[in-house]
Amino acid sequence: MKDIMTIIIRLTVSCLMAGAVMGATFIITSDAKKQNKYKNEQKVSYGLLGYDVSKGIPAEVKLHELFRYVVTTGDELSVGYLVPTGHGEHGGFTFISISLDGSFIGQYPVDIDHASVRDESDRDQAILTALGKGKTIRYADQTVIATANDQRTAYLLSGKFPGFKTFIHVMLALEPDFTILGLEIMEHEEDPGLGAEIKEDYFKNQFIGKSFAAVKYLEVDKVPLPDDYRQALDGKISKEEVALVQQNYKDKNIYALTGATISSVSVTNGVKGITKKFAYRIGILDAVIQEQNIAVPF
Amino acid sequence: MANDKSNMQLVANGILNENPIFRLVLSMCPAVGISTTVMNGIMLGLAVLFVQVFSSVTISLFKNKIHPRIRIPSYTLTIATWVTVIDLVMAAYMPGPYSQMGVFIKLIVAFAIITMRLEMFACKESVNASFWDGVGMGLGFMAGMMAIGLVRELLGLGTILGFEVLGGVRPLLFFVLPCAGFFVVGLMMAFFNYIEIRYRKLKQVAS
Repeated sequence: MKDIMTIIIRLTVSCLMAGAVMGATFIITSDAKKQNKYKNEQKVSYGLLGYDVSKGIPAEVKLHELFRYVVTTGDELSVGYLVPTGHGEHGGFTFISISLDGSFIGQYPVDIDHASVRDESDRDQAILTALGKGKTIRYADQTVIATANDQRTAYLLSGKFPGFKTFIHVMLALEPDFTILGLEIMEHEEDPGLGAEIKEDYFKNQFIGKSFAAVKYLEVDKVPLPDDYRQALDGKISKEEVALVQQNYKDKNIYALTGATISSVSVTNGVKGITKKFAYRIGILDAVIQEQNIAVPF
Repeated sequence: MANDKSNMQLVANGILNENPIFRLVLSMCPAVGISTTVMNGIMLGLAVLFVQVFSSVTISLFKNKIHPRIRIPSYTLTIATWVTVIDLVMAAYMPGPYSQMGVFIKLIVAFAIITMRLEMFACKESVNASFWDGVGMGLGFMAGMMAIGLVRELLGLGTILGFEVLGGVRPLLFFVLPCAGFFVVGLMMAFFNYIEIRYRKLKQVAS
C-alpha cells in the first residue's frame, strides 16, 4: 500500500514537471511558429503571382482574403463567406450568407480586425457572435484575391486532395478568366524519387498557361516528356523561348511522371476539381455581391 | 557497477563498439525508413542526439527518486517531454527541415535505442558519464544514418546532400524505396562484422 502511494505521488510529480517544461517551450516558440507559417505562405503567394518578396512588392498590389464557411441552421445547410469591406486596413469584415441554390440570405457585419482574422479560433468566435444563436459554422477553405489598382489580377486558392498515400496540399494561382498562373505543392507525402517529383518544376509547371476550357477536360498522358518541353519547364532557356514552347504545348494533356502515374493523375484531377469548383463559387458570390451592392475592395 | 571509462572512450564506444544501428541493432525502423538522403540522416541524428543527451542526464539526475516498478513509464515520460520540446523548437526556428522531418521527429519517442540506454546506463551511472554516453550514442546513430543515407542517395538519386554528383544519372532508383533500406543496412552490418573479425584475428596473431 505504501508502495502504491509513493508510485502515485512520484508519477504525478514527474507528469507535472514534464507538463511545465513542455508548456514553457510552447509559450516561447508559438509566436515564432505562427510568424514562420504566415511568412512562408506570403512568400509562396507572391511567388505564384510572379513577385519576389525579397525585392519588394509594388504598392498597388493588394491581397484580399476570403474565408468560406458551411453554416448549419437546424438541419438546413447554407454557405457563408467572410469578406473584407471598405478599403485598406480601415475596412471591416462582413459575413455573406448564401443558400445552396445561390440566392442571398443575409449579410452580417463581423467585428474583427485584419490581424486577428488569420487566427482560426478568433475568427470563428467573431462570426458566431455576428450570426446570433442557433447556428453552427464549419471552416471550409480560404481564397485570396489579388488586385492591382482595384482591378482583379489573380486568385490564389489553397486546397487539398488525396494523393498516393495521404492528402496533397497545394496552392493554385488563377487569372481572372481562370487560366492557370501557377501551381505550388505545399505539403505531400509521396514516395521520394517517384511521386515526390510532383513538386519539381518539370511537372508542376506543365499546368501553367492551361486555359479554363482546357483544364475542364485535362487528362494525363503516359508518354515521355519531350526534351524541348522539359528544357522550357525547367527554365533552362530564355524567357521568350519558354513562352514559345509553352504556346505549342498549351492545349496538350499533362505528361505523367515515370513510375508515379497515380500521383500524376491525382494532382491533375485535384487541380481540375479546385478550378472547376472555384469558377462556379466565385460566379455565385460575385452575382450576390453585385445584386446586394456590397462594398468590397476587390 | 562503477564506470571506469574516460569521457572520450564513452563517446567512441557509442560510435564504434556499440554503434546503435550496426552493433546493437536497435532503432531499425528509422534506419530503414527515413535514411533515403544524407540530409535526413543528419537532421534525425541531431534530434536523436539532443533527446538522448537530455533524457540520459534527466534520468541520471533523478535516478534515486524513480521507483523501480515504474522505471519504464518514467523513461517514456522523460523521452516524450524532450521530444516534444525539440519538435516545438524545430517547428519554430527551422521550418525548412521541419517540413520534411516533422512526422519522424515525433516518432523518436518510440525509438528503442533511447529507452535502452536509459535502462542500461543512465539509471546506474553518474550524470557526467551519462552525458558522454548520450553524446556517443547520438553521434553513433547519426553516423549510421548518414552512412546508410549516403549509399542510398548516391545510388538512388545520384546526388549527395542534394548536389548532383553523377551528372543527372540515377543509377538504381530502387535504392530510395523502403525495401532497399533492408539491403543497405544488412550489407553494412555484414561489413562491420567482417572488420571486427579481421581485427580480432590480427590481434591474435600479434599476441
